[in-house]
Amino acid sequence: MPGLRGGGGGEDVRGGFKPSSVGLGALCILRIPPFLPIPPPDASRAATRVPLLRSVSLASLPPLRPPAPRLTASAAEASRVAAVSAAGSPFLFAKMVYHSSFVDDNGITKACGCPLLPLKTHIKGPAPAFDQDKADIVDEAITFFRANVFFKNFHVKSPADKLLIYLTSYINIALKRLEGCRTLAVGTKAIINLGLEKVPVPGEPGFPFPGLFTLPQSQEEAELLRNYLKQIREETSGRLLNCAYRANGTPNKWWLAFAKRKFMNIVIL
Amino acid sequence: MEPAARPAVVIDNGTGYSKLGFSGNSEPSFTIPTVVAVNESFLDQSETCSSANWIAQYNAGVMADLDFFIGDEALSHFRSSGLYSLKKPIHHGQVDDWDTMERYWQQCIFNYLRCNPEEHYFLLTDSPVSTPESRECTGEIMFETFNVPGLYISVQSVLSLSAGYAFLKSLSDENSDSMSDMTGVVVDIGDGAPHVVPVVNGYVIGSSIKSFPFSGSDVTQFVLQLLQERGELIPPEDSLDIARKVKEMYCYTSSDIVKEFKKHDKNPDKYVKQWSSIKPKTGVPYTIDIGYERFLGPEIFFHPEIYSADFSTPLPELIDSCVQSAPIDTRRALYKNIVLSGGTTMFKDFHKRLQNDIKKIVDDRVAATNARHHVEVKPVEVNVVTHPIQSYAVWFGGSVAASNPEFYESCHTKEEYEEHGASICRTSTVFKGMY
Repeated sequence: MPGLRGGGGGEDVRGGFKPSSVGLGALCILRIPPFLPIPPPDASRAATRVPLLRSVSLASLPPLRPPAPRLTASAAEASRVAAVSAAGSPFLFAKMVYHSSFVDDNGITKACGCPLLPLKTHIKGPAPAFDQDKADIVDEAITFFRANVFFKNFHVKSPADKLLIYLTSYINIALKRLEGCRTLAVGTKAIINLGLEKVPVPGEPGFPFPGLFTLPQSQEEAELLRNYLKQIREETSGRLLNCAYRANGTPNKWWLAFAKRKFMNIVIL
Repeated sequence: MEPAARPAVVIDNGTGYSKLGFSGNSEPSFTIPTVVAVNESFLDQSETCSSANWIAQYNAGVMADLDFFIGDEALSHFRSSGLYSLKKPIHHGQVDDWDTMERYWQQCIFNYLRCNPEEHYFLLTDSPVSTPESRECTGEIMFETFNVPGLYISVQSVLSLSAGYAFLKSLSDENSDSMSDMTGVVVDIGDGAPHVVPVVNGYVIGSSIKSFPFSGSDVTQFVLQLLQERGELIPPEDSLDIARKVKEMYCYTSSDIVKEFKKHDKNPDKYVKQWSSIKPKTGVPYTIDIGYERFLGPEIFFHPEIYSADFSTPLPELIDSCVQSAPIDTRRALYKNIVLSGGTTMFKDFHKRLQNDIKKIVDDRVAATNARHHVEVKPVEVNVVTHPIQSYAVWFGGSVAASNPEFYESCHTKEEYEEHGASICRTSTVFKGMY
């Protein structure tokens, strides 16, 4: 029992003496605490100071909210997602990553469990329009990217978080493509090439997070999601080029450094 | 003059730095790195040596044992001449290499402190999780090699606690109650393994000690990693050294990473610092920019995942679980007195961030109890104590402890050693009854 160890050895320790040594300055007038541990005044008292076995351990109370599926990364394989429910301590909810604020998804169409959130964009696609003043999901992804890219475990709190994870990994891929590009023109060309590549949807090989989204129920759902992803990727690339390159066209090393980081330990080929 | 009338020698051997001095002083006389540079060039010589070589080797062989340096001298000799190899006797708070440790102590006592070990009592410090065998080895070396009259091997955490207490008492005049005197959680983060140690009434609760895998040297590594990822031109032979200096000079603790990123973007002139120096091999001056590492470095204590995927419990949570595993009647007192010690806790605002995070966890728990049991529990006061002498708090506590007249009676003396052998050093009074 990790209780207090009583000083059963019978040391005759007195507390509260005053040190007489010189050279301690102001400390001379202090009452220095007893140098040795204070044994309890009565030997039998040590035996009664056993912590109550029946006390409710607050850490063992069931968690406050039902645990949501948790996205974890494995170092061994490239992108194996374990949708493990958060068991155990309720304090897993302590803030680790930065989550999306678009938790309310009434009225938003969903495809494969991914909410098609509105975007502030001029690019054509299935996304609804959004207020020009507020921050949309792409702004959020870019703002949180530099913090979230360090994390290996992502606790999904809402469906919008899934989109945030996808965008964070896309920004990581895009930065990797921009690594060798010395000017804005070369960088833009590289990003356009990235945009021309085929956009995989969940269920197809090449989709970075196999377990994150549900599989599409029909061909239309898959195409809808593909078009949405294409649109949001193009929009993100545009805004990213703004951050990654300075006003005079030279690369911004503060952003491009993150190309070397591996979000969720996913190796980008 | 009796040894008991002289000030005792206080030596705090840490993984990175050792603090040496005499008791009664308010700061250590020497703070030197715990490294030894030995000259091993005469160890393995082939058989086919000329007679001139043999003579040289014989001459050197007599003195070869004494040809070593410690501390800063060791580092400079290692760099300037290729003859020496560096050895670190202490890893993660535990002594690995006793021969090297003996040499280290030898130079400490005779070259640095310049005292006669037979005339002073010694106070050495030990990690809270060290084995009794290591205490026995320490005792053996001290009594046999150095012939000290008395030795006390204390636990570092208890000394930190008494240092914090003594220092704060000197600033205020209130009388605190006896329970808070030597009760508290000591968070000791130095260069070796950090430990969270609860101490109640001067006793260490051994089963509740928790350890955190990342220490000051890991923060240095992380800072270096970030600098190299960004492509800063750091000369490779000095890289760790530069990263360490950058960490000590420029790192601070933030409250929120994303906000810090935004601040850096808005005011780069205010937040991005420059470090300029000269390359040692070529003599060419260079400058590097220091930006995000300033706040991401200390962040590994609060989000360990960003450095390594193996460990994900943040330090505030670890401290909280440590207090929760202590006996229930001590918990409030432990929360009230969380003491920081060790050089790595000196980051700006580290204690504020720690206090806020722990308070949040504790408040959430209290709110949960209130909701579940429909009671109104008195809110728990969380207090992280900080004071300017944190980096050598252990040494200071040792100095204070060794100035008490009672210290001399509680040492293991030479007579006891000769009577019973080295096993007397195994017990530490704070773990009384355990071994």
